[in-house]
Amino acid sequence: MQVYGSKELVEDVLNKDLCIGCGACVDLCPYFKTYKGKTAMIFPCTVQQGRCHAYCPKTESDLTELSMSLFGKPYDGSPMGHHEKILIARAGDKVHPAPFQAGGAVSALVTFAMKNGMVDAAVLTGRTGLIPYAELVTESESVARFTTSKYMAAPTLSAFNQGVKQGFQKIGVVGTPCQMTALAQMSINPLHTENFKDSVALKIGLFCTWALDTRKLAAYLSSRLDITGIKAMDIPPPPAEILVLDMGGKTIEIPLSEIRPLVPRTCLLCPDMTSEWADVSVGVLEGEPKFNTLIIRTRTGQDLVDKAVAQGFLTIREMPAVNLDHLSAAASNKKKRALAGAMEEGLLNTAENGKRAMMRIEKAVVERILA
Amino acid sequence: MTNIQLSQDPYNLIIAGVGGQGNVLASRVVGNMLSRKGLTVTIGETFGGTQRGGSVMSHLRISSGSAFSPLIPRGKADMIIGLEPTDTLRVLGTYGNPDVKTICNMRPIHPVQVISGEPSYPDLEDAKNWIRELSRDAWFLDATDVAMEMGAAILGNIILIGALAGLNELPLDREDFENAIGLTFSGEKVQVNLAAYDKGIEMIARNGR
Amino acid sequence: MSILTNGEPGKRYLLMGNEAIARGALEAGVSVCAGYPGTPSSEIIESLSKVAGNRNLYVEWSTNEKVSMEVAAAASFAGLRAMCPMKQNGVNVGSDFLLHLALSGTRGGMVIVPCDDPGALSSINEGESRQFARLLEVPLLEPGDFQEAKGITRWAFELSEELHSMVFVRSVTRLSHASGNVEFGELPQVNPKAGFKHDGFILDEMEGIITSAPVDYKHGLQHAKLKKAVERFENSPFNTYQGPEHPELILVTSSACNFYCREAIGLLDAGDRVGLLKLATTWPLPPKLIEKYLSMTDRFFVVEEVIPFTEENLKILAQEMAPRIGIKTIMGKRDGKLPMVGELNPDIVTQALAGLLGLEYKPQPDDYVQRSREIVTRAPNRELTFCPGCPHRASFWTINNVLKMDNRQGFVCGDIGCYTLSTLPTGFSASKTLHAMGSGTGVASGFGKLKQFGMDQPVLSVCGDSTFFASALPALFNAVHNQSDITMVLLDNSGTAMTGFQTHPGLKTGAMGQEVPAISIEAVCRSIGAKVKISDPFDIESTRNALFELLEENGVNVLILKQICTLSPEKKAKKKFEVRVMAEKCLGESCGCGRLCTRIFRCPGLIWNKDKGKAEINDVICIGCGVCGSICPNAAIEKKEVA
Ligand SMILES: Cc1cc2nc3c(=O)[nH]c(=O)nc-3n(C[C@H](O)[C@H](O)[C@H](O)COP(=O)(O)OP(=O)(O)OC[C@H]3O[C@@H](n4cnc5c(N)ncnc54)[C@H](O)[C@@H]3O)c2cc1C
Ligand code: SF4
Ligand code: SF4
Ligand code: SF4
Repeated sequence: MQVYGSKELVEDVLNKDLCIGCGACVDLCPYFKTYKGKTAMIFPCTVQQGRCHAYCPKTESDLTELSMSLFGKPYDGSPMGHHEKILIARAGDKVHPAPFQAGGAVSALVTFAMKNGMVDAAVLTGRTGLIPYAELVTESESVARFTTSKYMAAPTLSAFNQGVKQGFQKIGVVGTPCQMTALAQMSINPLHTENFKDSVALKIGLFCTWALDTRKLAAYLSSRLDITGIKAMDIPPPPAEILVLDMGGKTIEIPLSEIRPLVPRTCLLCPDMTSEWADVSVGVLEGEPKFNTLIIRTRTGQDLVDKAVAQGFLTIREMPAVNLDHLSAAASNKKKRALAGAMEEGLLNTAENGKRAMMRIEKAVVERILA
Repeated sequence: MTNIQLSQDPYNLIIAGVGGQGNVLASRVVGNMLSRKGLTVTIGETFGGTQRGGSVMSHLRISSGSAFSPLIPRGKADMIIGLEPTDTLRVLGTYGNPDVKTICNMRPIHPVQVISGEPSYPDLEDAKNWIRELSRDAWFLDATDVAMEMGAAILGNIILIGALAGLNELPLDREDFENAIGLTFSGEKVQVNLAAYDKGIEMIARNGR
Repeated sequence: MSILTNGEPGKRYLLMGNEAIARGALEAGVSVCAGYPGTPSSEIIESLSKVAGNRNLYVEWSTNEKVSMEVAAAASFAGLRAMCPMKQNGVNVGSDFLLHLALSGTRGGMVIVPCDDPGALSSINEGESRQFARLLEVPLLEPGDFQEAKGITRWAFELSEELHSMVFVRSVTRLSHASGNVEFGELPQVNPKAGFKHDGFILDEMEGIITSAPVDYKHGLQHAKLKKAVERFENSPFNTYQGPEHPELILVTSSACNFYCREAIGLLDAGDRVGLLKLATTWPLPPKLIEKYLSMTDRFFVVEEVIPFTEENLKILAQEMAPRIGIKTIMGKRDGKLPMVGELNPDIVTQALAGLLGLEYKPQPDDYVQRSREIVTRAPNRELTFCPGCPHRASFWTINNVLKMDNRQGFVCGDIGCYTLSTLPTGFSASKTLHAMGSGTGVASGFGKLKQFGMDQPVLSVCGDSTFFASALPALFNAVHNQSDITMVLLDNSGTAMTGFQTHPGLKTGAMGQEVPAISIEAVCRSIGAKVKISDPFDIESTRNALFELLEENGVNVLILKQICTLSPEKKAKKKFEVRVMAEKCLGESCGCGRLCTRIFRCPGLIWNKDKGKAEINDVICIGCGVCGSICPNAAIEKKEVA
């Protein structure tokens, strides 16, 4: 993976409207800042090779390099990525009940990892009004404040960067697939720094088909309702086709056809639905709203799940084959859409003429995915 | 008005530095000292933001006759007092000539571009050589350093007035200095300034510290 | 204890041009002087304010130039001598009043002193006030040296009183801000009693009502006054000629250009070839005097700043006189012999004159020019910058950061004051429009109404505390009343810092040091319905939050950033913090910092040590505001409160 500086990051990502606002570049330095879901560069920086560029999931991510480094095998383009197991899960009895998005598996795993000392801090995403914000949490009791999904792009990783600055060395992160990609890129020491230390101890990835543009959604909703009254939001799995807003007492349903124009274009070029670079990935379960789909990908993930189950923080059961098929189809569709779009825009694999791309995938693999 | 014979008439003196170095006060003091001798003095000031980091330059035209332009013509300086090395060079470029004499305070004040690491500030030994090259005679004083030892960097300008007096090119004397500085300061401050003036005379005699 | 009143008559003193003007007014027995600060005019009022007590003067810094003219005019109406100094564009501010005052006439001597700034040495225009004298049809005088600055000012009062018309005395930076020897005259023993007579015959200039109507009558009267002025001008001792009886060429000049012409003639040793006609009464030109000199030779070269004002007026007269004196060649700016823009200097005039006389002029030997050019390129230029510890640097830092983070292409409408520098890197280039005093908020008020046409950029204006009272208020009222969406950032550094801490209506002290009621900017803004927040710009975080909050609000918001100017007499030399860079924590050029403090923030108190690759504090320059400590991304700049 070729690393450049902030100048190229601005040219290739911000100026091309490819930034998802994940926060990977934010607060590493004084130049990239996030405000209301948007990342901005406030002054030019002259460093030729920077972490901002290296970590950004929208500069050319070399998926083969990531796969080799994380899983010891090349990237093969399979719909749900490398994994050990796919299960159904939900929070166990040891977890205080809270208004989880689905089964609460995410909150359960984070709580457990903190209690058990696997992580010393966790990066979670909250919401003030409609605007998502990131926070570094150091006490397991705080996890409950961050339940439920904010269906908007969030600067989650800015809190991770702050945590590293503060000296935390075992940080757990809950985030979307793009955020997991950024963390994976951090962990391979792309700048070949001496005495490099990976501060990510646990990556809990969320499933994600797309996120919404925070500012556009805020503008859309505030002309229709009082956004400060939104208690929670949900996008139930297909075929529902709605965004449900819990207004505390009453619910408002907005057809997805109205909402789709608020999806940033960068999500349509994103190939990952299931957080393929995470230790464990969590999504909702089709048909059973109070359960999660759980994908275990790494030893770390397996270890965490085993212990959490053993100590009553998580319950699991087998996943029926039909669910798996649907999941696989959805994930595969997202990949196809993304690769086709990226190819059309010349954003797949940096060309010989030097035109810089946003991802790098072996030609044969691309063909397999698109087949 | 006076029968003082100057080595040049008009005698053209430039005091140049950076905003905040007390250059305007210095020119006013020298002007008043010479006015007391009955000479006609015209002072012009050129500044690019007097107190805002810009170059500031005072032109003194000293004559036993009439008032001259507040701007010295190009190449016509007789004496340049530089409060800052690179500003001294710039002034030499415009107003210098092979016969000019220069007294320069060697404490650099970095322009913001230098602070920001773009162009570099020249080596002080180089600067000295260039000043020598562009002047008939040149004296280099660490006026700011000595002034700081005396309690305030701003006294550097007074030390340089003392140095100028020490060269005996112009009819500058201590009594006139005391009188002129008294127009601006009173009490203890006058004493401090007198000490700085004397220090300047001492320093130029030793050509340095 | 000022020389201005202590100096002995008959003796010479070294005075700044502005002080010479003040002395002239004192010798004329001036009673009232009102003005608004502006370089290069401010020292006139400043020096008078220091002697107000022992000369029974009334001196004020008025809210703006127009008001100062009105205040001075009232004194004239009451029979007193009054003076009103201002920088060039001040005349524009008050020109509506002046247009009427020219017709209405005056009683006690009334002198307007515009100080022009050719070359815009401390302005963002090089406007010509002389043009106003012609436009308003009032007499114009231009002193040509320091002694004349005093003498002409004094005479102007007499002339004004004789004509019952205001008189312009025009100065320029190179006269106002230069110093020369001035011989003092007597100070009169005056004890005038003020009184306004208004119930005489309605058209009686001294006892009727004072107004510009009936216009045809008053305009006629005004022309009669001008005629009388011309008669006086014909014999004025301030118009001088020096040179041979039959010169090859006559230089015609006025004001500071008089110095340059004399210098040029001297440098070219051309005293026996050319004459120098220095005019002090430049409008209306006295025709008999002009005819006399036009008859002396055929070629004339007009040397003046900035527009070809006298050149054109001279050409009109020359054309009228042509049947008697023949056709004359009048050179100057219109034929490109001298530049139309910028200030002149001895070198420009000398080169031009040398050309006209077929001489060659070389100010420095070629090899010296060559070598010094090489050397000077090694001396880095000095860019204008806010002072070390200037509150504006901190304010614009936050403004820039907030607008960039907000990410909607927001911008600042700039205004006049030190913070004008915010168009430059020292203010992070935040200001994007820049015009007259108060225009920032006026222009913002207009931008703030363009939502209707799809403009969704946040609109900010900046305004200093003095500018607020001088001219931003009408714009702010406009924005509130017309429901414009703007945020005005009021940079309140408690004084008219740019021109040297003159007072303004927001402060507790008047021009003469007396105690006066201070008007609260905050209360004014709140009373008209603006949302107001106050913050200390040195507290970067709370200022940022306050600005972010205001950007969310529709309508007119005001953010008052209060922090006293570094140079203010109250603050000078007091360090709040002892500041130091901890080298081991300084990230320098590496990823994570990229020299933020020295490359972007650029307080002159910081130095980049190239050899060590670390930032450092320059103890001589740092004033210890501590702001760099809060912007360092790695907390490498330590600040310790000084006890
Ligand atoms: C933008 C977005 C799109 C999603 N799309 C799908 C999808 O298409 N299909 C699917 O099956 N699941 C999707 N999910 C995941 C799903 O909504 C749940 O988050 C997941 O099932 C976990 O449920 P839970 O009950 O365990 O979560 P909880 O225990 O309630 O915990 C939620 C966790 O999500 C984190 N979080 C919330 N919002 C964000 C955000 N914007 N960015 C990063 N982290 C956040 C919080 O920190 C919290 O820890 C999406 C989630 C998000 C945020
Ligand atoms: S790292 Fe994230 S926030 Fe930064 S440019 Fe890339 S996508 Fe945007
Ligand atoms: S679709 Fe991709 S880019 Fe968009 S939020 Fe989800 S993971 Fe990020
Ligand atoms: S403390 Fe820092 S910002 Fe303030 S004057 Fe000193 S160097 Fe400048």
